[in-house]
Amino acid sequence: MKRDLLCMTAPVREGFDIPCHEIGPTTSHPAVALVAGLHGDEINGIFILARLADFLNSVEAGKYPELRLVKRVLIIPAVNVLGVNLRTRTWPFDKTDINRMFPGSTTSETTQRIAYAVLEATKRAEYRIDIHTASIDFEEIPQVRLYGPSDAERATARKFGLPAIMERSLSPVFTTTMMHSWKAWPGESFVLRVGQAGTVQLQHCQRVFRAMVSFLGKIGVLEGVDIAVEDEDVCYFDKPSAHRVFAEKAGMFVSDRSVGRWVRAGEEVGYIYDSFGGNVIEKVVAPVAGLLSGIRRHPLLFEGDLIVRVNKKA
Amino acid sequence: MPYRERMEIRRTVFGGGDGPRVAIVAGLHGDELEGLYVCHRLAAWLEELQRCNPGALLGTVELYPAVNTLGLDTLTRGLPVFDTDLNRAFPGSPSGPLPSRLAAALMSALSGAALVVDIHASNIYLREIPQVRINQDFEALLVPIANRMNMDLIWLHGAATVLETTVAHSLNSSGTPCLVVEMGVGMRISPDYCDQLVAGILSVWKGLGVLSADVDVPETLHTALIADDSNVHFLNAQTSGMFLPTTSHWTDVRRGELLGTVVSPFRGDILSDVRSPVDGVLFTLREYPLVYEGSLMARVMSRKGGRS
Repeated sequence: MKRDLLCMTAPVREGFDIPCHEIGPTTSHPAVALVAGLHGDEINGIFILARLADFLNSVEAGKYPELRLVKRVLIIPAVNVLGVNLRTRTWPFDKTDINRMFPGSTTSETTQRIAYAVLEATKRAEYRIDIHTASIDFEEIPQVRLYGPSDAERATARKFGLPAIMERSLSPVFTTTMMHSWKAWPGESFVLRVGQAGTVQLQHCQRVFRAMVSFLGKIGVLEGVDIAVEDEDVCYFDKPSAHRVFAEKAGMFVSDRSVGRWVRAGEEVGYIYDSFGGNVIEKVVAPVAGLLSGIRRHPLLFEGDLIVRVNKKA
Repeated sequence: MPYRERMEIRRTVFGGGDGPRVAIVAGLHGDELEGLYVCHRLAAWLEELQRCNPGALLGTVELYPAVNTLGLDTLTRGLPVFDTDLNRAFPGSPSGPLPSRLAAALMSALSGAALVVDIHASNIYLREIPQVRINQDFEALLVPIANRMNMDLIWLHGAATVLETTVAHSLNSSGTPCLVVEMGVGMRISPDYCDQLVAGILSVWKGLGVLSADVDVPETLHTALIADDSNVHFLNAQTSGMFLPTTSHWTDVRRGELLGTVVSPFRGDILSDVRSPVDGVLFTLREYPLVYEGSLMARVMSRKGGRS
């Protein structure tokens, strides 16, 4: 069922809303809350959640007789609706980042009102998942991100079956994010980071879609899911396991490598060219042996830009 | 930069004796121009001083009028390409990405100064009276200096609401006093406000011993009101439309007084009235007319401090 989380007016357009899907048995609050599109240019998450809503609605409609949705799922494919339509990460009117406006309020700025409505709808869920991508310049392997997690969250994170789980501390810089606000409530909170902004990467999206279905099966929300064995191969990475290479020189970075490959220490992963002269000015190599978990996709490099991240297996 | 060009932050240094070193920072946001004009006025004053009375500059003055050079040159508030607010990148790191490198370079240049003034010009939406904003953690040190800055308002912010990644917070936390000035409006210059601040800065520099005690500086006539979380009232739009102020900025208003209306270009009637919630001073007023539900239109403070 579609519901409007929030309806607002606009200066000269018709009013707008933030729609969500509520699927499964009616309860006072959802068992699982899934959010994407806090940033309008992170399309992978929007696509995954819209497809998941279609799938769960089909389950509800009886198109998959072996499956049964036994608990309520709330899905918000995109929070920054106008940002999606205008292809901007931030709220287009005042360029503020909605994921820096939490916990929000009903009486202050527009984006704080949006944040408040999203938090109210999701905070009581037992499992809360916020899907992001990297920026439009960088591609990340589909991964679960944990921020200052509980042991229960560490254990649950494995149930997605995604290739990597990355743990980070809960930085004070991020006190105004949705994740930070969620953590004040009972229940478990996860960020999924999937690919690159500005595009739909079908392979990543399909992988995360399967991960979400498998996850809903494992936590007992969707009954009848056949859980594949291959999903169990999960690597857990803490912050020290991440080895990054930053551009020491500006120029043009070009690489044909894909994320998710295991690389050897010293293995070449790309080249930096002088963008005027065309000569190679630096060969970029993997700093350690490990999983190539992220790589730069925008070729134009400033000094200091992150080029690759390799995670060393514990 | 990726194709040929190099990026640098330019500064102007006026060197005198061995006295204290002070600095002015402006243009961290590429849409804020008031600080650039203040730097121009200070440079003109200091050039004149060097011609007529070179011995009167006892210390060193550094002007950094345009930190976000790319933003200023391209009419962008943040750092272009990185889509980053430079004043959320401090203290930065010399080996990090560009915003972080610029922040680290500026931190290293400013550290140890006797006083840094970071000048902001609100944004393109709101007009502000000349004011100093201070984190309550650094209140004891900074308020006495701010009181001599010839500003009309000192706004004390609770520590919880302060952003830790600003240049001011990073400098104050590491022992270099830094005052944040907010005044005027984005993309414009308000010469009267700028001259008011120039007088305040010169007077403070004289007090610090950067300028000799016998040098003539412009008169300072303004006394600051005090604002904090207890006496500031925010007026956010109840409906979207066009905000039309019915009173002028920087005036005394009465409780219930009409400050403006919100109207629609499609209709002749008024969508909502905007009235003052208290007797006080209208110190923030919206300059950019279009509002969304929730957009800030004005701030009113009940009087506290200043001259009675």
